[in-house]
Formats: sequence, structure tokens, C-alpha cells
Amino acid sequence: MSKKAKASNAVQYVILTILSVVSVFPFLWMIIAATNKSVDVTKGTLIPGTYFFENLKALLASDLQYLNAFKNSLVIAVVTTVLAMLVSSAAGYAFEVYKSKGKDRAFNIILLSMMVPFAALMVPLFRLFSKFGNIPGLKLVGLNSPGAVVIIAVATAFLIFFFRQNTKTFPRELIEAARIDGLGEFGIFTRIFMPTMKSTYAAAVVVTFMTSWNNYLWPLIALQSPQKRTLPLIISAMGSSYTPDYGMMMTAVVIATLPTALIFFLMQKQFVAGMTGSVKG
Amino acid sequence: MKVKKVLAVMMAGTMAMGIAVCSDAGLGTVKAADDASDKTLTIWAWDEAFNIVAANEAKEIYQKENPDAEVNVVTMAQDDIVAKLNTSLSSQSYDGLPDIVLIEDYKAQGYLTAYTDEFAELDDVAKPDDFAAYKTGVNQADGKMYGIPFDSGVAATFYRTDYIEEAGYTQEDMQDLTWEKYIEIGKAVKEKCGVDMCTLDPSDIGQIRMMMQSAGSWYTDAEGKVSIEDNQALKDAVTEYKNLVDAGITKQVADWDQFVGAFNNGEVASVVTGCWIAPSIQKAEDQSGKWAVAPFPKMEINDASINASSIGGAGWYVLKNVGHEELAKDFLAKTFAGNVDLMNQLVKDITLVSTLNTASEAPNYSEGSEFFGGQKIFDDFSNWTKEVPSVNYGMHTYAIEDIMTEAVQAIVGGADMDSVLGDYQIQAEAAVAQ
Amino acid sequence: MYKSHSSVQMRQNRRSWLFIIPSMALIIAFVFYPMVQAFFTSLQTGMANNLSFSGAANYERLLTDSTFKKALFNTVLYLVIQVPIMIILALVISSMLNNKKLKFRGFFRTAIFLPCVTSLVAYSIIFKSLFATDGFVNAILMNLHIISNPIAWITDPVFARVLIIIAITWRWTGYNMVFYLSGLQSIDDSIYEAASIDGANGFQKFKSITLPLLKPIILFTTINSTIGTLQLFDETVNITNGGPANATITISQYIYNLLFKYQPNFGYAAAVSYVIVVLIVILSFIQMKVGDDKE
Repeated sequence: MSKKAKASNAVQYVILTILSVVSVFPFLWMIIAATNKSVDVTKGTLIPGTYFFENLKALLASDLQYLNAFKNSLVIAVVTTVLAMLVSSAAGYAFEVYKSKGKDRAFNIILLSMMVPFAALMVPLFRLFSKFGNIPGLKLVGLNSPGAVVIIAVATAFLIFFFRQNTKTFPRELIEAARIDGLGEFGIFTRIFMPTMKSTYAAAVVVTFMTSWNNYLWPLIALQSPQKRTLPLIISAMGSSYTPDYGMMMTAVVIATLPTALIFFLMQKQFVAGMTGSVKG
Repeated sequence: MKVKKVLAVMMAGTMAMGIAVCSDAGLGTVKAADDASDKTLTIWAWDEAFNIVAANEAKEIYQKENPDAEVNVVTMAQDDIVAKLNTSLSSQSYDGLPDIVLIEDYKAQGYLTAYTDEFAELDDVAKPDDFAAYKTGVNQADGKMYGIPFDSGVAATFYRTDYIEEAGYTQEDMQDLTWEKYIEIGKAVKEKCGVDMCTLDPSDIGQIRMMMQSAGSWYTDAEGKVSIEDNQALKDAVTEYKNLVDAGITKQVADWDQFVGAFNNGEVASVVTGCWIAPSIQKAEDQSGKWAVAPFPKMEINDASINASSIGGAGWYVLKNVGHEELAKDFLAKTFAGNVDLMNQLVKDITLVSTLNTASEAPNYSEGSEFFGGQKIFDDFSNWTKEVPSVNYGMHTYAIEDIMTEAVQAIVGGADMDSVLGDYQIQAEAAVAQ
Repeated sequence: MYKSHSSVQMRQNRRSWLFIIPSMALIIAFVFYPMVQAFFTSLQTGMANNLSFSGAANYERLLTDSTFKKALFNTVLYLVIQVPIMIILALVISSMLNNKKLKFRGFFRTAIFLPCVTSLVAYSIIFKSLFATDGFVNAILMNLHIISNPIAWITDPVFARVLIIIAITWRWTGYNMVFYLSGLQSIDDSIYEAASIDGANGFQKFKSITLPLLKPIILFTTINSTIGTLQLFDETVNITNGGPANATITISQYIYNLLFKYQPNFGYAAAVSYVIVVLIVILSFIQMKVGDDKE
């Protein structure tokens, strides 16, 4: 290796190390803060303390209903992810496998919806969902029901686009072979496509779960009663409270970050592979 | 056919899952029906050091006589309360709403006008005459009373006697203060003690609001019309505010926590705000004996301005469609609407300055406060409360104030006051015209 | 034979709509229908639900509304400054990480992606405390003698905007990096080797190989980031709450304020929201055009 190449390599390591530290530091800081008393957190201590369990106890004992919010978040994120995988992947698959002029047109319309910002939908969605609450059959998805948060995240243009792109890498011969074996079209989708495209689903699960877990604006509007609140709502409320307990707050943040971190680390390999599939088309 | 079948199964599964989710998470919500056997009340308030404590003590008192009543006191950020009332009431979905809610005085008229039918009339619970005169206007609509006034927002100058004396002034100098004098003292404090005179939050211009009210004026006039461009009191207040900023004796803060931190850590020599700040000041136990309270400074440049004003303050309101109207009214009648014992206890626990007239009979009211060097602060607060000029807060205080923060920052930055206020008169008119 | 084949296909074609209909129905119900509704609402004024038709009054008000102009300015500012910084940073990082000889690639990749697992609210709160006037960042900068007085990150209008930009960049750079890394992995190494033999240096390789091959992905991420930035809400609400004096407010937050902070004004809020729709459509169109031209 030439001197110049070595120097440029060293520069790369320095840059990457700095960026990694900058990326990771807030996490370390948050974890350290979670183990310290509130006063020490405000003083900016960088030494891990021994106060974590006290913070945890205080958090669980506070009337924020943290565990309940954790459960709400989990239920919403899991149900959203499962439904989104079924509904959006079916659409993405069909757009690619059963190509037709009509479907391409429909697909373009769906893509257009990506351009509609949520802020523009806030007013009408809020009014629409408040009506749902008064219709007996739709109470499930009315305001203040977790269903209202789930249902608008099930079909997204992003996911449909993502699945369509990945379907391009799905070998057509498998479909033909399955048809010859007498498998129905839906069976091909569930029994051949789904198992084959595991890494695509993994990437989609990571993205969907994280988006749902971290969603703030719509739950803020749609979930009114304290018992229905999700974690981001609770954490935001803690941050804007009159006398924030920073140790307790950071404990709440650490715990709230665990599930997404866990999912990411478990699925990291498949996630990257799935992403690769989406950009190949 | 098979496809359809499978799809149908899939959809059914989806629905079933959805039902499971919703019914699962639906546990513990309050049903919106007036069920006499259901004696559960929910109360929302926002300050855990102050009004939440009050609600909890009221709950204790009420439950002594009504052991079968269940009362949930919920802490909710004030912004969240506002947003939730707006969303729920405009969509008439009462699920999860409280029966009793604390509403800040500035916001009360807005709700009472937009959602009159949602609030319970409280004329049979209390009479306006039972409360301090300046408070009663905000709780009424069409001559009916909808809210039970809670705390006084009477403004006061809390100051550190040690800093003031070190700067060469006496407690005598702090009486009948003007803003001009206040700035003069502030400069001396900054020079001699190295601390700022007070905190300022560029997003919160409460100081200007207080100054305006001390001259009997508001962003809106008596008819509720926006009054910014030709409002002399507002102009004078902005002038005083600019002088204060230009003097370089203020510490900038961004939120409540930093605001409290500044005086608890001894970084400022005074706090000019509502009397409800007292419990937060007293949190710094090591500063006991070093604090005193003086009246609100008046504006020398404005003849109408007096040494009394108000900021914040709130009242209890009953949401009548949530389902426990009678129980909620009964709760208020036996607690905040007239229970002197409760007030007496709250004086001690949260230094509440009640706006209930009979509260002045409470024995703790005439006690001196050790933290404030033995000063009989409640006597002072009550006396000042009587002098507070009554103004019509109108329905849009915060909508206008959010706009005004921009105007004030522009003027402080050097823009011409008349032209800025002229522009913002139009802005504010557009913001309130609906 | 031909006929029967085609009828099978036709049946398949019709049935295949069943895969699509659930998604279509949901998107029409929760995106397009509300969009149309929003337009009608934007032509009405009134308090809460008592709306009446008022023509273009709400749109006229936009022209004189200084808070709206501020929100629009801020949103565009974040977009114009933050998106390019982030895209370039993500590109540089990913081309460094694509070097197979690099040690600790996995570690670097994971570390830089890590911010993406935090919720927007959570990281906003962390940033708010790190960048407090007497917070950690100021302490470090002062210890390093980069600054002599603490920076008022949250109360100074300029620094507050800088802080928002830093925060968003921290959160999203790793996310975009993953897309580029995936794209880079599908580029054959032999192309780079051939370029090296021809004497191309790192930057030249980046410019003439990496950029053109990644163009579709760059376009995709740019449009995605543009849309995301135009909808910015969580960060400004939780870090600066739009302050000081609306200096960092975004359009989404202004809409929220109009709806839920003051007396609800559904009509005007809808009119403001249509501005974002128009902006996104125009910007996406421009970006696609630019993307096409270089082809």
C-alpha cells in the first residue's frame, strides 16, 4: 500500500470514529443519565451512577402509567406491523406479478399519496375519525381507540413501493412451477412468495415497527384519555412537565428505546439484505 | 373461488385481531352515561407542586364524608389539557375526558364561548360574590357562572434581601416600586453581586401582560376587539420590557424548569410573577430567610398603572357530558367552592392564595412565613388581590400572545414600535376573526 | 388453446385485484378522501364545527400572516440546508464503509445507524438537555476553548435553528446511509478496480462511478427527505417548542397550533396545509426533472 493510500485510510478511520462517537454518545449519555439522580443529570455527570433502580421504581410508581403506555405502544406496533405486512405486501406483490395497464395506473395513484403530507390530512382525518366514534360498527377505529392509530398505518405507499421493488427479484419460475403443481394464486403468495422473501419482510418489519413505535403526531391527536397514551406521548409529557425528573425521564427513554434497538439488532443482516433488494430494481 | 375464501379469512382475522386490540385496551375507560351508581370522578390539573396537591387534599376531605366516591386526580401538561379539550369537545367524544378540569383564566372565555353546552352551570354551587371581584368575570358566560375560581394570580415582586442589600438598597426601596427603579436596582445588583435581576423567556411575555393589566388594559378591549396598535398601556409595557432587556440585567431561560432552576440556584435576585410561584421558591430550603415579597412594580411612564396586577390563576370547571355532573358539582360545593378548612390547609401546604373571600378567615392566613423572613405574605397577597384592575381577557389571549412574542422580539431588536404594532394589529385581527 | 390461455389470464387478472383492493381502499379512505375534504374545509371559516362558506378568504389571509411566513421560511430553510448536508454526509460515509478492506465496518455501520432506533420524541428530549445553556455541549466547547461564553442554543433564534438542523441530521443520516450502502453493494467491485488501474483517485471514482450508479437511490432518498422535512413536527415541538418567539416553528406545528392550541380554526388550518401539498408536488416534480436530465 502506498503512503498516500495509508494516509487516506487513516483519515477515513478518524472521520468514521468521530462520526461513530457523535452517533453513539447521546445513547451513552442517556444510559448514564438513567443511572443517576435528577440533580446529577442536570449537572452533566458522565459517571454511571447507582440510581437506576430508584429511577425505575419512581417511574413505575408515578401516575403516568408507564407500563400501560408500554403495553399500548406494543399492541399498536405489533398489530400495525402484522396487518401492514399482509395488506401492503399483497398489493406490492400483485402490482409486479400481475402487471396490467390498469394496475400500473393504480400504482401511480398510490405513489401520489406519498406526496400528501400528514399535516394536510390532520384536519379532515380528525373530523372523519371523530364521526367514526358515533357509528356503532366503526367504534373500533374511532377517536381515542388504538384502532384509529393502527388503521391509517396499515397501507402505505412506501411499503407497497418497497414490496413491489423487491418482488422484481423474485424468480418467476417459482410461480409457474407452483401453478403447474396446482397451487392457487393466493397459495403461491402465502406459501411460496412469503417464505422466499424473508429478508424483504424483515426489512419491512423493522421499518414499520419503528415507525409505528415512534409515531407521535397522530396518536397525540387521536388518543385522548390518559389510559390510551403511547410511550412517545408519555415521554413528551414528562419533558414538558413543570418539574422534570431527568433521571426518571431518561430511564423512561432507555426502556422505550429497547424494543426498536432489539428488533434492529436481531434483524440487522436481513434488514440490509432487504434494503438491497429494494434498490436493485 | 379459493382466493376469495382465503382473502375473506384473512380479512376476518384482521377484524378479529382489531377487535381484540381495542377491547383489550378499552379497559378502565369512563362510560359517558350519568350512572348514579358509578361514583367515579376524574380531575385534571397540571402542577404537581401546586394544583395537583390541592386536588388531592380536596379528594381526601370529600372522601371522608363520601367514602364510596372514587376520585382520580390526573397530572396532565397544560398544553395537553388544552389540546384534549379542543379535540374532544369539537368532536363531542367524551371518552376519557375528566369530570372536573382546571382551566387557566386566560383560556376560560374561549372554551365557554365555543363550547357553552359542554360546561355545567355552577350557580347552585357558589355565587360570584363569594370570590375576589377581579376573578369572577372570567368564569361567567351570559350571566351564568361556570367555574369555581381557584388560585389568585396576583402579581408580586419576590426578591432576595441579601442581594438587594449588598447592592446598597434597602427593603424600603422595594416598596411602591416602579420599573425604572427596578432596573436601576438591577444594574447595581449586577455590578455588585454579579447576578442577574430576573429571568426572561423570549417565548413568554408574561411581564408585558402583567404591566398591561396593571394599567387596566389587555390585548383586547372591553368588547373583545383586538387592541394593539393604539394601546398606550401595551406600548408603555413594551418600552419598559425593552429597557429591561437593554439594561443587560436579565438571564434568558427557555422553559419552566430553567426558570425555576435560576432562582433556586441563586442566579437571579428577584422573580416578578404570580404569587403561585411561592412554593417553587421555597423549594430551595437553604435560602430560607433570604427572601421577601413586595408589590408589583408600576410603570412610571403610564399614569393609569398601579402597583397591582395578576398573571395566570385558574378555576375549576365541570364537563357536564362526561357523565358525573351531579357528583362533580357536589365535590366542588364541598371543597373549593366554600370549604375554609381546606383553604386553611392549602395555605400551609402549597401557600395557596385563595380567591374565596371567606378564606381570609382561615387562621393560617395571618401567620408569618419563616421562609420570607417572618413577613405576613398572605395578608399582603390578599390586600393586593383586592386592587388588581379587572380586565376582559377575551377569548384569544394566547393566539394573540404567540403573535405578540414575534412583535416584541422585533421591537427589542430595534424595529420601530408604531409600525411593528400596526402590522401586528392586522395579524392579530386576522388570527381572531373566524 | 390460445383463447383458453387468455381467459385464464383474464380471470387471474381480475382476481389479482383482490390483493390490491384492501390497500387501495385504505389509501383512498385515509389519504385521498381527506385531501378532498380538506380542500372544501379550506374554503370555510368559523369556530370549531360551526363552519360556513367563505370562498378564498383563508387563502387571502395566508398572504398577510407573518407567523405563517415565518413557519414557511423555517421549513424551507431546514429543507435547503439540512437535506443536502445529510445526503452528502450519508454518501461520503457509505462510500467509506463500502471499502471491503476497512476494518470494523460492521461496528461503524451499526454505530452510525443507531440514532435511527430512537423515537423522535426521545432523541429530541436528549438533545434538549445536551444543548441546554448550562448543558453538556456548551461545557465541552468551553473546555476546548472553542467558545468563551455558553451558546444560547434554545433561546437564540439563529442557534435554535442550527440546533434543529444538527438534531435532524444526527437522527436521519444513518437511515439514508443504509440505502446507499445497499446500492453500493450491488455495484461490481471490478468497475472500481478498473478505474484504479486507469489512475483515478478516490474522489474521481466517487464522482464518475458512485454518483451516477446511485442516482436513482439518491433521487428516492432526496424526495423522501424532502417530504419528511416539510412535515417536521416532533423535533421542533419537543426541543424548542417552536420558540423563541416562533423562530423555529414549522408549518406542521403551526397547523397543530391552529387546530388544537387556540380556538380550533379548521378552515384556516386546512388552507395552510394545502401550501405543503403544493410545495411537495412542486419540489418532487423539480427533483424528478433534475434526476431525469442528467440521465
